[in-house]
Amino acid sequence: MNCLEFRRHLGSEPGSQRKEFIAHREACPGCSAAQLRADAFESRLLNALRVQAPTNLADRILLAQTTEMRSGDRYRRRRFAMLTLAAAASILIAVVAVNRYDQPVPPLSAMVIEHLQEHVVHADDLAASLPPERVMEAFAERGVKLGSVPAGVDYVHKCPAGPYRTVHMVMPEAEGPITVVYVVDTPPAPGSSFRSGKDFGREVRMGQGSLVMIGPSDRHFESIAASWRDALGNAVAENQAKQIPESLTGELLILQSVITPYDAAGSSACTTCR
Amino acid sequence: MKPVNAAMSSRQDQFEALVRGHSTDLYRYAYWLCGQEALAQDLVQDTFLRAWRALDRLREVSAVKAWLITILRREHARLFERKSMASDDIDDIDLPDPQATPERSTEESRLRQAMASLEPKYREPLVLQVLGGFSCSEIAEQLGLGEAAVMTQLFRARQKLKGQLGLEDPLAEVSEL
Repeated sequence: MNCLEFRRHLGSEPGSQRKEFIAHREACPGCSAAQLRADAFESRLLNALRVQAPTNLADRILLAQTTEMRSGDRYRRRRFAMLTLAAAASILIAVVAVNRYDQPVPPLSAMVIEHLQEHVVHADDLAASLPPERVMEAFAERGVKLGSVPAGVDYVHKCPAGPYRTVHMVMPEAEGPITVVYVVDTPPAPGSSFRSGKDFGREVRMGQGSLVMIGPSDRHFESIAASWRDALGNAVAENQAKQIPESLTGELLILQSVITPYDAAGSSACTTCR
Repeated sequence: MKPVNAAMSSRQDQFEALVRGHSTDLYRYAYWLCGQEALAQDLVQDTFLRAWRALDRLREVSAVKAWLITILRREHARLFERKSMASDDIDDIDLPDPQATPERSTEESRLRQAMASLEPKYREPLVLQVLGGFSCSEIAEQLGLGEAAVMTQLFRARQKLKGQLGLEDPLAEVSEL
């Protein structure tokens, strides 16, 4: 290392411990003096750079940290609670969605399905759209006065389904015909959506009775139910419901076990109804 | 006393030691980075809060100072990004002399003014070297520069400071030899 290299290095790193740097300094009185001047300058520079830090800076930082930690804990706790609630709600929704059709077929619908196995509506029986009077008449014979008749009823018949007095209808939809059975004076079981084989089913409270819908899709159940709700309005069954024998519950369970998929295109006739 | 004692069981104790051991140095560095006392204080506080959140990632106790400086530089960059402020104009700010007393030499004040007027590319490595005690290679790593470039910047920084203070140029002195 020569003097020029030493001075350059001195200007860059006055405290350098490089061997050649130290060796040159020890050998060169001029550069040794330059090092002393540089050290004095570095000392003054260090003092100038050491500005006074605010009083209690460390304490202020620690206070900010503990405050943040507490609010962070509060936030985390609140967030955890919200997430827990959200997770619980999601699970509930998922369970309801998954189990909606895992419900066993309610007794009323089981009886209706049992009836449908015998009472199969032929394609020939379906009219393009029945006159409303025919539908009103069927309901009137069951003691229910309709305010109006929903459009698209292709078939109507008064049927007994077990001990229940019903009006059996068919309403065609894009996915296939929906069997709509009004059970005059029996309310539905709670949570009454179900599957029966490939078919979807739903029981809806309607006046003092129930509307049972069964079909290849549940897409139109809401609109069908709404149209019948409008049609029935405040209609009330004039006759009181028959009392269902206590032993019937057991009978219904047996019926449920023999339910087979409903086939709307079947061909057997209903001897009971005809 | 080591800034971070590995034997300390509590994370809080570890953090407290970190704050007490480094907050002053970090404040000084922040001050020379931004030129404002209040902003420097905010920067240091934000730096330590980030350090607290990331404390579990600190593996090498010996590297704690460099780690904190890195966080502070990022905080500073983020702050100026947010505020769309020019970070290299601290010479435009009227720097008060925090240590100005009648007893203090005017040279120290002049040195501070000269420091403040330096371009950041000269000022920052000089502060890291003089205040932080970092070597040229460490500064190079910190600033993402080559070691030779850092040495050149340090040399020029001193040359400019001495020029402003009317002190001799070491190289000119050599050429006279």
